[in-house]
Amino acid sequence: MLGRMEGPYDVMVVGGGPAGLAAAIGARDAGARRVLVIDREAEAGGILLQCIHSGFGLHYFKQELTGPEYAERFVTEAIDHEIDIVPNSYVSGIGLDSDGTKRVRILSDHYGLRTMTCRSVVLAMGCRERTRGAIRIPGTRPSGVLTAGLAQKFTNMMGYLPGKKVAILGSGDIGLIMARRLVLEGCEVVGVFELMPYSNGLTRNVVQCLDDFGIPLHLSTTVTEIMGADRLSGIKVAPVGSGFVPDMSKERRIDCDTLLLSIGLIPENEMSQSLGIQLDVTTRGPIVSSTLETSLPGVFACGNVLHVHDLVDFVTGEALRAGRHAGEYALGIRRAQDNIKLVPGDNVRYCLPHSLSTGHEHQIFMRCKEPMKPCEIIIGNIMRKKLSFVVPAEMIMFKIKPDALDRFQGDTLRIDIRPLQK
Amino acid sequence: MSDKKNFTCIGCPIGCPLQLTHEGLDVLEIEGNQCNRGAKYAQQEFRDPRRFVSTTVAIEGARHRRLPVKVTAPVPKDRVVDAAVEIHRIKVTAPVRIGDVLIRDLLGEKGVDVVATRTMERV
Amino acid sequence: MRIAMEGEFYDVAIIGGGVIGCAIARELSRYDLRVLLMEKNAEVGFGTTKTNSGIIHPGHDTPTSTLKGRLVVRGNMLFDRLHTELKFGFERIGAIYWIREKEDWPRLEALKRQGDEKGVPGLELWDAERLQKEEPNLSYDLIGALYAPSGGVINPYEFAFALMECAENNGVELRVDCPVTAIDRGDADDGILHVHTPGGVVDTRFVVNAAGVYADRIAAMVGLDDYTINPRKGEEFMLDKRLHGIVRRLIFPLPTGITKGILIIPTYDGTIMVGPTAHDTPDREDVTTSSAGEKEIFDYVTRLCPSVHQSDVITAFAGLRAVSSTGDFIIGPTRVKGFINVAGIQSPGLTSAPAIGEYVCEILADQGLKLNEKSDFVAEIDGPPRFAKQLPREQEKMVAANSAFGRIVCRCELVTEAEIHDAIDHGARTIDGVKFRCRAGMGRCQGGFCTSRIIKILSERLGIPPEAVTKRGGDSWLITPMTDPVVRTVGEQED
Repeated sequence: MLGRMEGPYDVMVVGGGPAGLAAAIGARDAGARRVLVIDREAEAGGILLQCIHSGFGLHYFKQELTGPEYAERFVTEAIDHEIDIVPNSYVSGIGLDSDGTKRVRILSDHYGLRTMTCRSVVLAMGCRERTRGAIRIPGTRPSGVLTAGLAQKFTNMMGYLPGKKVAILGSGDIGLIMARRLVLEGCEVVGVFELMPYSNGLTRNVVQCLDDFGIPLHLSTTVTEIMGADRLSGIKVAPVGSGFVPDMSKERRIDCDTLLLSIGLIPENEMSQSLGIQLDVTTRGPIVSSTLETSLPGVFACGNVLHVHDLVDFVTGEALRAGRHAGEYALGIRRAQDNIKLVPGDNVRYCLPHSLSTGHEHQIFMRCKEPMKPCEIIIGNIMRKKLSFVVPAEMIMFKIKPDALDRFQGDTLRIDIRPLQK
Repeated sequence: MSDKKNFTCIGCPIGCPLQLTHEGLDVLEIEGNQCNRGAKYAQQEFRDPRRFVSTTVAIEGARHRRLPVKVTAPVPKDRVVDAAVEIHRIKVTAPVRIGDVLIRDLLGEKGVDVVATRTMERV
Repeated sequence: MRIAMEGEFYDVAIIGGGVIGCAIARELSRYDLRVLLMEKNAEVGFGTTKTNSGIIHPGHDTPTSTLKGRLVVRGNMLFDRLHTELKFGFERIGAIYWIREKEDWPRLEALKRQGDEKGVPGLELWDAERLQKEEPNLSYDLIGALYAPSGGVINPYEFAFALMECAENNGVELRVDCPVTAIDRGDADDGILHVHTPGGVVDTRFVVNAAGVYADRIAAMVGLDDYTINPRKGEEFMLDKRLHGIVRRLIFPLPTGITKGILIIPTYDGTIMVGPTAHDTPDREDVTTSSAGEKEIFDYVTRLCPSVHQSDVITAFAGLRAVSSTGDFIIGPTRVKGFINVAGIQSPGLTSAPAIGEYVCEILADQGLKLNEKSDFVAEIDGPPRFAKQLPREQEKMVAANSAFGRIVCRCELVTEAEIHDAIDHGARTIDGVKFRCRAGMGRCQGGFCTSRIIKILSERLGIPPEAVTKRGGDSWLITPMTDPVVRTVGEQED
């Protein structure tokens, strides 16, 4: 029910975006009776509420929905599942009792500072955007330099434009989507500048957000200076060569009053770290078992806090499973410790979960380091999957069935992506 | 006299560069596609390229100042900006339910309605 | 248009609302005087002060033959009482001055002697073994250090805000967005100076010139040209809080003639700051950061402390030191009656600030200003609520008393809505003003999630439309209204 907070709970979910909502539903489906979702915004739905474009739900609902539509379906389903959703609240700490009970300290404008107990927790805090400081662009510090997500919030939720003449650094989907969005609101988008020699976003977005509007995409280019005393007045850009070093002899000035940064997402794991949860340096999210349980017993993770996703449909699938396992945990059902380590091999940047259990089905998520086509995913000596292409921007997902894993003799399963031999 | 048009296929992330050869409105040949989806895409983009439009409109009486909306069917690609301007001319008053039709036959395009993509209660 | 009533005048007009101007204002507010402080930016402390490293120096490294050498030790001592009265963060974390070469031992020993003679407490010489034990993350090729336990850290802007708040509580008037364009004596020989600003003319008996990087320009307005200010830019890089604890103390090299050197600074808030560089610049508005500056600092610091890396940077900024052509503080009366210079206050200016405040009062008294102590002077201020730093029991009480403490606005720094309002109550008028008073926007996401809410709150509280809210005054607008015209309303309720 919206707004009710009455413990004790079986499962508590930190974050009410698509991951948190699906995790809560998964927990209820597993039989947990009392499930609480905490979210810091005034309403649940997470970042989807500001993603007003379509492209969500193609896999899960077999329909193409906008972000708010996708979110509303899950909020409705969560309320129908009698899940308590408390917005305008924030988890400020989690403590552990000796019997495994979690004590979650919650700050809420409605309830004040309260401690609620539960048997298991699902972390679904999502991620934040990389900022200017992270890439240390030299120059002045005017207003008008902001992340694409903040510009999206200004535009779609507050109803204000971030500026009038806009440059975008980073060709990830958020930047591309905002390029189109701002053109439709009457702004001039002077160009998208991308450090890599290829776009980081979906081809569909390059075509429908840039090509359609004649917005140039400058690959292998970076921003070398920010100018303007109070408000941004312009930037300097330069092509990059090997090692991504800018060729300053070709530096040129671009007039603009707004610079959007779309330069990466970072899972929000400050709380996870403060709880002593072990993180994977590549994903920047928790190390998890085959039940998506972190190194802290009874604490699970899913969604962008675990690893940055590109399709919300995959988030939903992952979160339903994490929630189901969190629900089972709360009911006293435990899976035996995983007995197989899963490690990334050639051209695999990472793969999740970090360990597997014989006798169970597993859903594997992974990303490649570099594009490759056609190619083959080689899972130890137990499975091979042919794919016509892989690109870093598209997460790879597949299932390993129990019988496949039972054939495996070792304790470490390695996944490689190799070019397909003709 | 044949002409050529170039497209990037958006059917999947490979993004095949497609080249369509045509004489007037007759399509003579499509090259560059690795699957059938590419050929169909090139045909559609040549004959009648359309796009979905989503944007926001002003709303009064709700928690937020903007209500996200979308078109129910794609509009011609060269009318996308006009579509946005036309949609922005309206203001709505809360409460609004997801799916409420706010504009019918946008820009005179039959069957292209503009609907709310979320519910916004009156606050 | 005159700022005071016709025929009235101020006793003292302070030009410049940096930490020095604010410290002087607070000292003057002890006395029965009409005092006005004029600051050209949108808020006090928005010039060099907010870019200051925040170090309270032990003071051993400046000789007593200089004015700065004499004021710094007194200033340092005053911080214990000041931070209790004014509730700003302050901690004596200690400082070490390391050396790598055997030949530098005599310099280190000389510094210790100088410090001992000046009364700097607790100075110790450490050998390599002791240094490695105390600061295990520093490079092992360091052979020794001078330890000064009285070194400390503050947030300089917090200090400036607190000083000004106390001064205002005790009757000092503040005008922001108030640059000085001219100063003259007028025709009457009445000992009144006329200070011209765009908002009107200020008539005052005394002018205290605390205009930082522009002090020489202000002095030139009354025909004084016996010194120049030569700005020296310093770039600093702020590193992620996860590096907290990598060093326990302020880490200094031996000073060169020009600069205190590139430091590792554990800030009061738990971040690590590295820098500053020191390069002269003729441009008094040049606060750019550069890749050259970044390289200079990180080449140096990674050699000193190998665990530090550029990837930990969360933000970078630069500030301008007001270096005087005399090489020392220039504090004193001039041949222009009533015009007092407080110029060239570079390092250790922050540390000396409280002592400078006292000293300027002495100078003014000497120049004929009657200092009658107020019986109702209130030395203390309440200080910001700092929800994140309270114990849970106290936090419960705060939320129960004010539900706005239950609404988190800045997730990274755990800043509540009540604290945003508190910042505005105490003078914040801009995004940076809110940020520097309550830390909202200073964390890892650098304002990504909280900025829209802070804009809304500022807009409501200041009664201005959201597009008029600025980052730090002037033309630093953040958002602009949508342009497509709305023509008709749909969805009206049918009765």
